[in-house]
Amino acid sequence: MAEETNQLRIRLVTPERTMFEHAATAVELPAKNGYFEVLYGHAPLVAELGAGDVIVHCGADIADGSTAGASRYNVSWGFVEVLPDRVTILASDALKPEEIDVPRAEQQLDRGQKMWKEAGESEDAYTDALRVISEAEAKIASAHEKA
Amino acid sequence: MANVLDLRRRIRSVKNTRQITKAMKMVSAAKLRRAQERALQARPYAKMITSVLESLTRRIDIFDETTGNLKHPLFVTRPEKRILLIIVSGDKGFAGAFNANILKAAFQFITGNTDKQIDIEAVGRKGRDMMRRRYPVAVYTEQTDDQGVARQVRDRKAPVEVTGDHPGMLLKLEQGRVHELAESVIARYVHEEIDAVYIVYNEFKSVISQRLVVERLLPLMKIGIPQITGAVEPTTEERERAAEAALSAGIEIEAVDTAEADDEAKKFGTANVDYIYEQPAEELFAGLLPQYVFSMLYHAMTESVAAEHAARMTAMDSATNNASDMIDSLTLHMNRVRQAAITKEIIEIVSGAAAL
Repeated sequence: MAEETNQLRIRLVTPERTMFEHAATAVELPAKNGYFEVLYGHAPLVAELGAGDVIVHCGADIADGSTAGASRYNVSWGFVEVLPDRVTILASDALKPEEIDVPRAEQQLDRGQKMWKEAGESEDAYTDALRVISEAEAKIASAHEKA
Repeated sequence: MANVLDLRRRIRSVKNTRQITKAMKMVSAAKLRRAQERALQARPYAKMITSVLESLTRRIDIFDETTGNLKHPLFVTRPEKRILLIIVSGDKGFAGAFNANILKAAFQFITGNTDKQIDIEAVGRKGRDMMRRRYPVAVYTEQTDDQGVARQVRDRKAPVEVTGDHPGMLLKLEQGRVHELAESVIARYVHEEIDAVYIVYNEFKSVISQRLVVERLLPLMKIGIPQITGAVEPTTEERERAAEAALSAGIEIEAVDTAEADDEAKKFGTANVDYIYEQPAEELFAGLLPQYVFSMLYHAMTESVAAEHAARMTAMDSATNNASDMIDSLTLHMNRVRQAAITKEIIEIVSGAAAL
């Protein structure tokens, strides 16, 4: 019964509501500087999240490499606290892939690229533009992944 | 003296009004229930942000060695010369004294700070309309500096000006718009356009526990402790009225017990272990602070929305009761008039018969 006890409790919280609360075997997280995966017994960690997908693995799908038992959420910006048996994700915005509005995300991408072109010398403007672009790209990618 | 027909018409019209106020009360009760729910659901996030920030502030490397203050522009205190006042009012009327009370508190704040420059950011249509009537709107002109970069230059004409308004923000509370507001407030504070940010709103824990508060949002002093600078508690009478209205609409009077969930949320990021910080602590801290300001704003707005619906529900309940009273007294009056008419006719007949 080792598998039963070695479960992580995953919680995904947004400003509006608690999106998801479930036991899982592993979770993939989009940190600001790249994806990382957390398994049971991970060292305590606090990280800032970027835009990307949180993938929660609930069963034996890790062994065979499929994503059948996994659920995916698109999150943009937030924070995560990892404890050995608990992962709490604080996301500014979280969507299920089927909730993503692709045309709107594409518009957002266009807007981001326009911001990038008009940023000029200002470093802040580039950072802002980059945020918009990466958020839009993550949304589009996650919508395509599902389809 | 009015005749029976006139009185009957009046009774009918009052009955119609009662029907409307009753319907409005029920609608407000339903909306209040939803608003309370939303305020409740927003709690875990706010609590978690607060607790992780608190735990981060305990780490020594965030502090400035020379001054002992936190190293972040939002913690910098300057003499308060320019103040931003955010007024959270309702979008619609018919809510008793709800909007009037908020505006009264806002005007009190403004008249109490006449020596300072005040910018007003109005959330909610009622507040905006009032502020716009009283104070001029800020004027920005575009100027090009010597490097050829165009920038907005503020041309201040009056000590109190309205810099922005957000009508309809509360009708459908979306976090995107609140985010924009929070970002603009932070940007203005960081660029030293303003020295302090205050917010006037109606705090709402439950139907019987609510008050009007003036809270200082920025500069931040200590994480997790709201800086309330002024509060107006409702009178006992008002509270009883609200409780009565809530009872008749089937609304829970006491606040829902969330102690367990709150405790759970408080643990976020504060476990007694040595965390690995993926990013440097300062960076995490700087990333979290805007979220904290956002969650404070969002919290104020969700509570204000709930309070507005509660106020409307109470007002409409009173109106319904008053209409019932009026119908009773009009019916009594009508019966009297009818009786008088009948008596008069009988007397006429009797005295006519006696004269024969």
